[in-house]
Amino acid sequence: MSRPVPTSQDARRQAERLPEGGLSDRSLAIVLVVPAALLLLLFSVYPFIQAAFDSFFSITLSGTGTWVGLDNYRNVFQDARIRDAFFRSIWWTVANVVVQAGLGLAIALVLNQKLRGRDLARGLVLFPYMVPAVSVALLFRYTFNDITGIATYLMQKLPWLERPPLFLADPDIAMWTVIAVNCWKYTPFMTIILLARLQTVPRDLYEAARIDGASAWQMFRDITFPWLRPVFLIALLLRTIWTINDFDVIYLLAFGGPLNATTTLPIEIRRLAFGQQDLGLASALAVLMAIFIAVVSFIYLRMYQRSEDRLM
Amino acid sequence: MARDDSVSISTVRGEPTREGRFVHAREDRSQKVRRFLARIGNYALLLFFVLLMASPLLWMFISSIKSNQESTAWPPTLWPKSPSLGAYRDLFNVSDFGTYLRNSAIVSVAATLGVLVISLCAAYAMSRFRFRLLRGLGEISLFAYMIPPILLLVPVARIVTNIGLANNLLALVLLYTATQLPFGLWILRSYINGIAVDLEQAAMVDGATRFRAFRDVVVPQTLPGIISTAVFTFNACWSEYLFASTLMTSPSRLTLSPGLTLLLDQTGVYSWSMLMAGSVVVVLPVIVLFIIVQKGLVSGMGEGAVKG
Repeated sequence: MSRPVPTSQDARRQAERLPEGGLSDRSLAIVLVVPAALLLLLFSVYPFIQAAFDSFFSITLSGTGTWVGLDNYRNVFQDARIRDAFFRSIWWTVANVVVQAGLGLAIALVLNQKLRGRDLARGLVLFPYMVPAVSVALLFRYTFNDITGIATYLMQKLPWLERPPLFLADPDIAMWTVIAVNCWKYTPFMTIILLARLQTVPRDLYEAARIDGASAWQMFRDITFPWLRPVFLIALLLRTIWTINDFDVIYLLAFGGPLNATTTLPIEIRRLAFGQQDLGLASALAVLMAIFIAVVSFIYLRMYQRSEDRLM
Repeated sequence: MARDDSVSISTVRGEPTREGRFVHAREDRSQKVRRFLARIGNYALLLFFVLLMASPLLWMFISSIKSNQESTAWPPTLWPKSPSLGAYRDLFNVSDFGTYLRNSAIVSVAATLGVLVISLCAAYAMSRFRFRLLRGLGEISLFAYMIPPILLLVPVARIVTNIGLANNLLALVLLYTATQLPFGLWILRSYINGIAVDLEQAAMVDGATRFRAFRDVVVPQTLPGIISTAVFTFNACWSEYLFASTLMTSPSRLTLSPGLTLLLDQTGVYSWSMLMAGSVVVVLPVIVLFIIVQKGLVSGMGEGAVKG
């Protein structure tokens, strides 16, 4: 306490001189990161390399494989089931991301108003994001049940419908049902991110615009949205990656059926590996999917950089 | 007039211009009416969104306090005739739900602690030291974050078998710790970057080792970041299905997600009210966590967004 307060430069120099029984910076750094590095190597990097390796072999789950070169990759492009699953994945991802972005933005704008009961409403609206996939699946399998589901019952009351839709049993409808449920669960993610950003918009920009006689729509277009855009793009990127990869909600709701109507790429990959026991083909498809996601992410990040530049 | 300075979607035409306020008193009144209508519109939208998002959860709860027969009654009853917790009691007595709950709790708590300790250490090193090794770790963790989980499923199952952890909850703990690490690293590193170095340097001048300075000075200041990391990690582990259903095969090792799915396949045995009771029990802990951190979550993410 009695010694004079050192400047940070002095402190740095002194700290470097005085390890006092502690480790040197270099060994401390190594000790601190080794557990993280080991876990990532063992459960991400090594399995990734293993999967890439498997994709060049004809191999089952248990046996050893024979080298087949690029045959698995060729088969990926010729297999009609895989092609269907790919387009279903695109459909699933685009529909989900578009609805979640639009609805998430609308909800964030309303929740950002100074309305009574706003805090409670915020909590209620954001809850679905925290609901585990298995609960979501159980709840909506019950709700959309053909025989006793409340949704089926309510649909029956609609005068213009001849009979209620078979939400999860009709191949033409099942995909829309799982998309709607997934949007219910994940729209709050968009709302959380956008709401946080909305609270940081510089107030004086609005003041200046109001004095200039700008309408609310003009203020949204010229102030609010450009301010949101970088965060919006990052949120879109995360949602896109997670939605392509998503397995739990869609699988637990419909198990890929009926008649494969909800079989997206991850579900098809799991079927190839465990059902068809064709590990090589499954790995090749998974590797291609990873590359596809990397390309999409790269495009997003380029757009992100451009929107950040425009804001500066 | 300008008290409500946030932009709304439905007050599009209701905004007064400065001229309008001074020149036409009559128009001012009609604008007041419009603003009032816009406000009503905003409340209507708010109510609509709240109903849209919250009503399914409310239905889950209502169904869980119905009797077994009533949960499949036609037409469905909006409120149970005699609300009871019977479904909850049956669920724990008849099924292995208690085991699933215990397994999930063990795995989620252990993995969350693992992520916190390991990512705090690594995040500190990455924030304060400049070595090539550390930059490499940042790149690996970004890469790990981008890999589709489905790609890792089979190789990970093989690794788990090879290191003798098949059907062992420890396998899930290790795996979840690894898969949630990149997120923890990312959040905590940006937090530690925002903490000034002066305090820990002062502690070191006073004779603390670097590690003690990290533990006693930096970690307490990182608390908000630690809490949000803990909540997200716990939630991810608590709800994970893909790996849990593949790696754990014996019934006594199942966690909640595969366990409840197993019960779902036997709706002949387990009534919908029991399944809804199970869902409520699964949802409850994460909702409670969410309520605790909700306020800090929204504003905390805003700060992070400003810093970029």
